Amino acid sequence: MSWRIGVDSGGTFCDICLYDQEGGQLAIWKVSSTPDDPSRGIAAGVSEGLETVGAAMSQVGFLGHGTTVGTNALIQHKGARTGLITTRGFRDLIEIGRQRRPSLYDLNADKTPVLVDRDLRLEVSERVRSDGSVAVPLNEAELREAVRALRDAGVAAIAIGFLYAFLNPENERRAREIVEQTFPGVFISASYVVAPEFREYERFSTTVVNAYLGPVMENYINRLETRLQEQGLKVAPGITQSNGGVISFEAARTLPVRTVLSGPSTGVVAAQKIGMTIGEPNLITFDMGGTSSDVALLKEGKCRLMGEANVHGYPIKAPMLDIHTVGAGGGSLAFRDAGGLLKVGPQSCGADPGPVCYDKGNKTPSTTDANVVLHTLNPEFLLGGRMKINHDGAYSQIALLAETLGLDVMEAAQGIISVVTANMARAVRVISVQKGHDPRDYALMAFGGAGPLHAARLALELEMKRVIIPLTPGVMCALGLLLTDLRADFSVTRILPAQDDSVAVIAELVGSLRRQADAWFLAENVEEGARSLTFTADMRYAGQNYELPVAIGELDGVTAETIGHFVTAFRQVHTEQYGFASTTDPIQFVTFRVQAGGRIESANFPAHDDAGPDAGTALLGTREIWFPETGGFTACPVYDRSRLRAGNVLHGPAVVEQMDATTVILPGMTAHVEPHLNIIIETGL
Amino acid sequence: MTQPSKTTPISPVTVEVIGSALASIAEEMGEALVRSSISTNIKERRDCSTAICDAAGLILSQAEHIPMHLGSFVAFIPAILDRYAVADIHPGDIFIGNDAYEGGGTHLPDFVLAEPVFCENILSAWVINTAHHADFADRGHAHIFQEGIRIPPVRLVRQGVTEDAVQSMILLNCQSPTERLSDLRAQRAACRLGVVRLKDLFRKYGAPTVAAAGQALLDHAERRLRAAIATVPDGRYDFDDVFESPETPQPLPIGVTVSVKADEMTLAFRAPAQVRSSVNMTYTALFATVCYAVKAALDPDAPPNSGLARPLHIEAPAGSLLNCVSPAAVNGRINTCQRVVDLIHGALARALPARLPAAGCGAAVSALFSSDNMADHWIYLDVLGGGGGARPAKSGMDGVQQHMTNTSNLPIEALEMEYPLEVVNYAFRDGSAGEGRHRGGMGLSRIYKVLKPCWLELDGSRLATRPWGLDGGGEGMNCVIRVDGQVLDPVPPILHLDAAQQIEIHTAGGGGYDAWG
Repeated sequence: MSWRIGVDSGGTFCDICLYDQEGGQLAIWKVSSTPDDPSRGIAAGVSEGLETVGAAMSQVGFLGHGTTVGTNALIQHKGARTGLITTRGFRDLIEIGRQRRPSLYDLNADKTPVLVDRDLRLEVSERVRSDGSVAVPLNEAELREAVRALRDAGVAAIAIGFLYAFLNPENERRAREIVEQTFPGVFISASYVVAPEFREYERFSTTVVNAYLGPVMENYINRLETRLQEQGLKVAPGITQSNGGVISFEAARTLPVRTVLSGPSTGVVAAQKIGMTIGEPNLITFDMGGTSSDVALLKEGKCRLMGEANVHGYPIKAPMLDIHTVGAGGGSLAFRDAGGLLKVGPQSCGADPGPVCYDKGNKTPSTTDANVVLHTLNPEFLLGGRMKINHDGAYSQIALLAETLGLDVMEAAQGIISVVTANMARAVRVISVQKGHDPRDYALMAFGGAGPLHAARLALELEMKRVIIPLTPGVMCALGLLLTDLRADFSVTRILPAQDDSVAVIAELVGSLRRQADAWFLAENVEEGARSLTFTADMRYAGQNYELPVAIGELDGVTAETIGHFVTAFRQVHTEQYGFASTTDPIQFVTFRVQAGGRIESANFPAHDDAGPDAGTALLGTREIWFPETGGFTACPVYDRSRLRAGNVLHGPAVVEQMDATTVILPGMTAHVEPHLNIIIETGL
Repeated sequence: MTQPSKTTPISPVTVEVIGSALASIAEEMGEALVRSSISTNIKERRDCSTAICDAAGLILSQAEHIPMHLGSFVAFIPAILDRYAVADIHPGDIFIGNDAYEGGGTHLPDFVLAEPVFCENILSAWVINTAHHADFADRGHAHIFQEGIRIPPVRLVRQGVTEDAVQSMILLNCQSPTERLSDLRAQRAACRLGVVRLKDLFRKYGAPTVAAAGQALLDHAERRLRAAIATVPDGRYDFDDVFESPETPQPLPIGVTVSVKADEMTLAFRAPAQVRSSVNMTYTALFATVCYAVKAALDPDAPPNSGLARPLHIEAPAGSLLNCVSPAAVNGRINTCQRVVDLIHGALARALPARLPAAGCGAAVSALFSSDNMADHWIYLDVLGGGGGARPAKSGMDGVQQHMTNTSNLPIEALEMEYPLEVVNYAFRDGSAGEGRHRGGMGLSRIYKVLKPCWLELDGSRLATRPWGLDGGGEGMNCVIRVDGQVLDPVPPILHLDAAQQIEIHTAGGGGYDAWG
């Protein structure tokens, strides 16, 4: 049982990381995804991967996987037929949303379609008041009638969203029981369970998304579980959620909404572990793929957890890592706009037809084409020689664009890189300067297929001193699955003044969160010694409507002193974020949260002996590369990543190639390979 | 000394890179303002805007908040520079103003704050923001002196130190001074943030490069809009309608002639003399309305900066409803502005068949509730959207804010916790959409139960007339307001409600597109 496996199942590839806890061996396997039934590709990939390392499925002690099944169902609107039962008078609330139009100026823009058709949104008499008292008890006869109507309409899932259910769930709880009795087998999603927090529209939206994804996720999980068991897997597999942790399949079945943003989260976890291993706890992660880039900030090894985000047009209240996505990737298309400026993205050529240089029909130059013209990417082959590319095609399309801009071809190619870099820098500012963090105090960890190619330039733009390129930049999400812990979040909303007489109520709320966490530890078989609890309170000045999360770690008991700690920490966070903090205005608690962690034995990276600065054995040859710094083509050494050894030193300009990534070291920069084989580039700032 | 505008050639790449940074700073200022504010009108309804201006006050980048607020931004900094010598303006100064005639505002509740940004002791840029302070309830609207305190551009902060005399005089004239003070603090936080970020930008690129990029961004917006206008066939396009509101129940004729010649557009408005009520528009309000309407119709992605105005010529008789002079009252100008957008789009629809939508609800229907008990004073402003006009290829949007505003609603769970009001119903208004192959958007219905006696001020338009359809599409339903089931006809601008009374607001639906068959 010594093998641990991480699987990241994406749209094009399924990445598999295998780690032998006894031998310390790390192996990587990539297979094509099977979008019609992703479980097929995953099961096949896992067994192939095990074969290459000579292990059997029965030797697997942990299998975690990240999936885009939920995200794709949401983007493509391929979820279950869903009904909504809500408070009388409010069936359109889910569609009215916040009443704003989606685009300020574009008269043809539309709102994201609501996941429940209007005729499947049914109202029942019931009403809770703002103080939590029940003004109108639930009309059970009406409810039964509504459930029957939804059953007859063929829904597979029912969402229940009543006003103030976060404050008093009595009516929703009863409604849920009745739905279970009246319509056995239907997937039920009730707002007091899914997102027991203030603001009805966002809560209902989360509840509806959860219902919409429920049957799809259930189906997928059942198929995957069966396949893996048939192949001899003895342990219960896990699935990643948007908070970067893993939950059991059972938990993912009831709360599929929590997996919706799981994609990039384990990459951040991997970056965090690598950062801690090499003594770089303050990181900005930069994961650049074909169509978009994901950025996140780790302060002292921790990524901020958000309570809410807008995911593909749907507000979702669920704990998620604060990851910001921008439409800037290798496939982002460059064009001249009507006013004569060069723009790049967010339109992307995707994997098919791909960039001009793939020769599959696209004629609009992309970021990748600019790199091919500049020779920062190998102008003849990609994927370690497996894929021939058309440099001349890319060159002639960029030449056409250059002409319309009044630039020379190489200036235009470099211009595309500058504009895409500015777009990415803007994304990094959202998670750093906008949250009170100066990027110059952080190192940039770059991964994803295109991250290492653009990282040095992005670091310059943000005036960052250091760039880290991990050993396996192309499979960081799968790697993160080997490094992550079991994790679950519980929350309760109760608006309370941050003063001494709230101690008893807070102690009771914290106690209830602790009990939920304990029950989860039992259900997930987490041993005493491996458990951890982190308490957070969302706080605000009385009168504000946006809360700031204030983390306080373990909470042994709640006393007046505890409240004092929270208040001090809140004022500090408020100052970081907004530049001021009143010391006299009253402060409130709004939502209490606990994150329960179950530490699992994770992979360790061995340190390698220093092999000296000479990287000569890894030298593949030289390539002429165009840099604005040198104003022309400059001969640069090209190194093979797999042959670089700890201690090797590389002087820019230089490039390092590996199967699925190219690292660029700019003129004037120096890089070295640290003992865990990560490349560290010093930008010289 | 203001920075002279540079003519050094600058790469289109640098312009794009600096433009992206300016947009991001304006956005960031907006988030800081919303999240640190206290009043529901800003923290949840987001009735505020932010922008970056050059040293002379031209807008380089306006964040995507409320198009109406452009009116406050265009005139405020020139108004400061008229009154204060540049030598008398220092780092850490913050100016405040709201007056429609002297202070750059378009109505008194919009408090504008601006802070200069210096680079090597040279005034190089301004950060500016405006927030709608939901105050000044239960006032008269015969002329502007009744509508609230009038603030010309004055220093609220002198080199980092609050001018207490100015601040206390402003607050004494407000009905919710605590809320006003907190929101002013949030506005100051937004300024502070913008200054820090802009200084970083100056340090990185140098003031001359940023200034050159700024001028290039204005030129760029101008070129884009000229290119878009050039696609409109040359000619004169007329559109006429009538305007009515609770304050002006007698319909007033308004109209426009849009003349297009090559890449320039002239908009000549027809309007009656300004009226003794709050529906008058200042020139800056008209300017903001024209900029919005033309950009939305011709090039929605054009960058929102002052360069957009260069190919546009606006003519409206001074002293008229659409270009009023002191002392006309202006508090309710938004509904007039909404109808002016409809005029412009109506005229352009004649120039560009199958490009423009039919008329939307033509209003920003507002309900301003205020306590009738001064000892327990509260004010709550609700603004309702309505149906959007049907589009040439699809139906109109249901129940959204139109054109000049885009404020959020307040969550019911927040509204009922903060105010003695209960929401009984919030829904699309069935049957309100104009018919057609593509139907108009549905209006909104909102029913409130009042829990404590209060005053209610109502504003809007399309109460007695209906939004027009296009190509034979039907009209949308007009807005209807009821108290305890009784239709208010005409709708009074203010009424008193007792506890347990119910008020129903049903906003207009959008016009339809294309007759059936």
